[in-house]
Amino acid sequence: MASYVQTSQAETLAPPTERYTLLGWVYKHLLSPWYNLVLTLVGGLLLYAIFKPALTWAFTGARWAVIPANLNLLMRGQYPAEEAWRLWAVIFLLALAGGYNWGVWSKTVGPALITAFAIPWLLMLVPWFSWGTRLNLLIVEAVGLVGYALGRITPKQRSQWAVYAFLAYLLAMLLLLRGLQEGHPTLPMVPTRLWGGLLLSLLLAFFGIVFSFPLGVLLALGRTAERMPAIQTISVLYIEFIRGVPLISLLFMSQVMLQLFLPEDFPQIDHMLRALAAITLFSAAYTAENVRGGLQSIPKGQYEAAASVGLNGYQTMRLIILPQALRAVIPVLVGQFIGLFKDTSLVALVGLFDLLGIARVILANPDWLGTQREVYVFIAFLYWIFSYLMSYSSRRVEEALGVGKF
Amino acid sequence: MTVHTPETVQESPSTEHEHIIVCREVHKWFGDFHVLRGINLNVKPQEVVVIIGPSGSGKSTFIRCINRLEEHQRGDIIVDGIPLTHDVRNIEKIRSEVGMVFQQFNLFPHLTVMENITLAPIHVRKMKKEEAEALAMELLERVGIPEQAHKYPGQLSGGQQQRVAIARALAMRPKIMLFDEPTSALDPEMIKEVLDVMKELAQSGMTMLVVTHEMGFAREVADRIVFMDGGEIVEVGTPEHFFTNPQHERTKLFLSQIL
Ligand SMILES: Nc1ncnc2c1ncn2[C@@H]1O[C@H](COP(=O)(O)OP(=O)(O)OP(=O)(O)O)[C@@H](O)[C@H]1O
Ligand SMILES: [Mg+2]
Repeated sequence: MASYVQTSQAETLAPPTERYTLLGWVYKHLLSPWYNLVLTLVGGLLLYAIFKPALTWAFTGARWAVIPANLNLLMRGQYPAEEAWRLWAVIFLLALAGGYNWGVWSKTVGPALITAFAIPWLLMLVPWFSWGTRLNLLIVEAVGLVGYALGRITPKQRSQWAVYAFLAYLLAMLLLLRGLQEGHPTLPMVPTRLWGGLLLSLLLAFFGIVFSFPLGVLLALGRTAERMPAIQTISVLYIEFIRGVPLISLLFMSQVMLQLFLPEDFPQIDHMLRALAAITLFSAAYTAENVRGGLQSIPKGQYEAAASVGLNGYQTMRLIILPQALRAVIPVLVGQFIGLFKDTSLVALVGLFDLLGIARVILANPDWLGTQREVYVFIAFLYWIFSYLMSYSSRRVEEALGVGKF
Repeated sequence: MTVHTPETVQESPSTEHEHIIVCREVHKWFGDFHVLRGINLNVKPQEVVVIIGPSGSGKSTFIRCINRLEEHQRGDIIVDGIPLTHDVRNIEKIRSEVGMVFQQFNLFPHLTVMENITLAPIHVRKMKKEEAEALAMELLERVGIPEQAHKYPGQLSGGQQQRVAIARALAMRPKIMLFDEPTSALDPEMIKEVLDVMKELAQSGMTMLVVTHEMGFAREVADRIVFMDGGEIVEVGTPEHFFTNPQHERTKLFLSQIL
């Protein structure tokens, strides 16, 4: 005989939420129990000890004048002032292509989008910028919006246009940066030895990533291709060799040694290209290992299912394995690319004038003796901004793709 | 009462015309381990053959040889007149005519249900996207889940995933379907929905090779049951023969354990 029978259904309740007053929060998280209080005190003292002198220096002692006086140099090196409009054009096009891609791929308006559109406005607040710069930033904002709107109205079946837009952007960017030929009326050539500062750092990182990524994926596939021992051996040798030497030695080899090995009448290869080649070859080996990790995480059943419906090896890789493997390694790859961006500062040691190289030039100028701290803090800040942007956007992309969700 | 051994069930010397699958003296080794020890089995079009046997007896290995997910090392396997050799073109041809359903479903998690089903028709059969999608919807109706078309596999129950897997295999319009323990990874209440789809498929005249422990299904749907043990076919017969009058000691032992 039943001793209990349900008579009415339990009602649905909202989950309990924790609510604090400000003081309550402070008490719960910072002051109790007693060891939390101790930690809070020690932490507070440490912060004070570190930040007091730093802030005192930043607001009273520092000669920040060195930054605005050399801002152009820091931003674009020796790139001629009368051609600077071309750099702005590159940025406008970037905003256009970037906005367009965003509009095509993501139809939701979220915090990431708002952040992206807030960036030009924030930059306008930088006191060292001229009104011309601010106007240009306004144009960036407007062009970005136009691109975004165009992306939104692009029908879903035409998403591949976003990719074409990006490729077109790459070409336009190279054309604008380098120009046509010496003395051309509208687009005179600007040789790469004049490219410098933040411009050079970003370009090295950008093209380093764009070129090393496909190379790295190919190497990863090569290393896992058990049916092709020759290709596998070459991939393993390459990856292990590169991972065994520091980037700086590759840079020295490309800048100094390469020309010694080439025949005497061989034309000088562009210094920036050589540095870029070293960076690309270096990064590709690490990309390969990261991608290989992703490939190994794909269960055997996926290969079998692909084979059982008749896909060939190439189709299996392209449609089934790589999309899953790459998605799985986005976080690691972004971490690696942030490292690559910061590693581009090594080119300063082989005579290129990237952000760090320009900093050293400024510091060698007798007018700015003793401003090491100001200059290095400033360029560290620039590195931080861009690294943080990369990491922030990667997290947004991960969310959009649902990484780790299935 | 005739004693059903493989030879007597196979009837007269097999001709490749009346059999869609011909296996002659198939042997396979994993390293030193002799997994398949001379398998002889012929299957006629529209026949449903259920393969049973203890764990490790080589059932999976055998049916995976038929679409060359495993490679046999001796003997012949001829599927729909095409001998399985190292010739890649033959392998691809056979794979597009033989569908397979796995114990773990093996759906592509990064693609929607619709994309899972249309992928092979579009890329292997070169079908137009619209046509492939119409076919996919038709198949989803057939397996009873048309409303799930735009979800991802991870959002479906096990039973629904396995039905999508069946639809994915059917989308290539295969002549033969292989099932490797399609219900073993499912919760009890979902087993029936998958078995029902398989029954309907059998009634529609599909040639099927099914490895399963579902004796009810075997009894109801199988034309023949094959009992494997130790890499060999021990006994072959109709369901009636198997469940009322098994001959071999090993068959009797196995059935007594499982029923
Ligand atoms: N790739 C492999 N390498 C080595 N041995 C294997 C491999 N695959 C299977 N085996 C072995 O071959 C034997 C037969 O395996 P198989 O999977 O065909 O058995 P099965 O009859 O399907 O068993 P189950 O009912 O457990 O699925 C087992 O002993 C197994 O351990
Ligand atoms: Mg098995």
